[in-house]
Amino acid sequence: MTNFVWENLFRKSDQDQQVSEALRQTFIFNTLSRKELGFVKDTVHVRTFKAGESVFRQGEVGVGMYVLLTGSLDVYVDYFADEAAPVRSQLVTRLKAGDFLGELSLVEHSSRRTATAVASEESLLIGFFKPDLFEILDRQPATGVKILLRLSEVLGRRLKETTLKVTELKEELRQIADKI
Amino acid sequence: MSLTLSQATIKRVNRWKLIGLIGLLLSIFIVVISVENLSVAALIAFVISYTLGPLVSTIERQGISRGIATALVFFTAFVVLFLIGLWLFPYLGGTLSGLQADMPHYISGVSQFINELEIKIHSFAGPLATFDVTGRVEPQLTQWTHDFFDRLPGFLKTFFTVSILGPFLAFFMVKDGRAIVNLILGMVPNHLFETALSLVNQINVQIGQFVRARILESLIVGLVTAIGLLMISFPYAVLLGVFAGLTNFIPYLGPLMGAVPAFLIALVNGQTGLQILLVALVYLVAQLIDAGLLIPVLVARIVDLHPVTVIVVIIGGAQTMGILGMIISIPLASTLKVTVSTIYRHLIDTRS
Repeated sequence: MTNFVWENLFRKSDQDQQVSEALRQTFIFNTLSRKELGFVKDTVHVRTFKAGESVFRQGEVGVGMYVLLTGSLDVYVDYFADEAAPVRSQLVTRLKAGDFLGELSLVEHSSRRTATAVASEESLLIGFFKPDLFEILDRQPATGVKILLRLSEVLGRRLKETTLKVTELKEELRQIADKI
Repeated sequence: MSLTLSQATIKRVNRWKLIGLIGLLLSIFIVVISVENLSVAALIAFVISYTLGPLVSTIERQGISRGIATALVFFTAFVVLFLIGLWLFPYLGGTLSGLQADMPHYISGVSQFINELEIKIHSFAGPLATFDVTGRVEPQLTQWTHDFFDRLPGFLKTFFTVSILGPFLAFFMVKDGRAIVNLILGMVPNHLFETALSLVNQINVQIGQFVRARILESLIVGLVTAIGLLMISFPYAVLLGVFAGLTNFIPYLGPLMGAVPAFLIALVNGQTGLQILLVALVYLVAQLIDAGLLIPVLVARIVDLHPVTVIVVIIGGAQTMGILGMIISIPLASTLKVTVSTIYRHLIDTRS
């Protein structure tokens, strides 16, 4: 009996440490001090997903991001070619421990998920959502600002990558048009 | 790698989780309802935590831990209320015992007033109106007054139990509310989690605004009434102000109910037309400030209930819990409406 209790106590603190470590290594939180990380750790939600269970589905309203603690996720995008054709699901990427997803939903108003994420094995995820971000901004604004700054960095990087991609595609398009 | 579960199994597991969660919430609800004084204490705790919560967050922002910030705010609030109580209770006690002594005088005054009215009606309507209102009203009024002062000790006992239990619960709601909500949210099945989280949050914000606005509104109306009555040196001014503030929680009927005792006192004391006009003016000014300033600025964003709903809800409240029921039924109904409309809006948002 005591053994069982102790095991559970240690498992709890083990998981706590694991969560703190995962948060510290996540880009968005890695400028935070130990104390600030402790506050964030008490705010986030640790969720277990069974193999085959979806974390979110494309088109659903999302309110936040997830950090993958253990396990792995498959990310699919559904293509709607036209109304009559059946929906085609394509595996886009597989995420592993330490990766994060859905961060755009933290800042976008009633944002819709642009892909479906399914746990490919039993996975532990850290959920960090809009209400959590607001709570941090309300109670510890300095911590909140650090998180927001890192979040903007991620979004800015995405924007840069997209701009680069668009420029490349424009160039390709121009070359094709020249050939014709 | 673990075996991928079929969608049917996942759905079944989630359904059982949901049933378990609803069962847990229902049993908490039943415990709160059935334990004596707990529901009122819980209600007061919610009101206190919604009122003091933002203050605690403001202090926490200065880098002070939430536990210390909560203790600081509650201690300050306790000291302030204690000082007010120290001044108010002897006054209220004196006023109440004065009122108890004066009551027969007021009852006979009212009876006399009705009697005069009856004589007038008799002279006007002749044999058509052969009823004896005075004979019925006087024993009834005496009975009510006796009941009120008989029940006062029991009411005070409840009052003291609740006023210790309420702040006690509120302290932990403010300090650990987040952890408690997260614990319950942790039991929500995955596919409903994000919806539940944002719902709980929206409802929390709405109810918080509602509670703070209504409390501030009633406080100001009560204060204006008391100051106005003091200015025209009307008896029982502070007591009447407190009463007006309390009844102001009841829409439509509340302001009228709040003014009735003042007019009764004025009539029985045989005050002149000018005095009665001044009293009416005080209540009118308080209501004008409420309707013209407080409601548009403070309460406008909060759900309005249809007048018919208000009457039905107040009658329901009066039937189940008496005066207290009348006062808390409207906030309760409004809270319910905020909750339902937020859920509805959220569902529309999610589905479209």
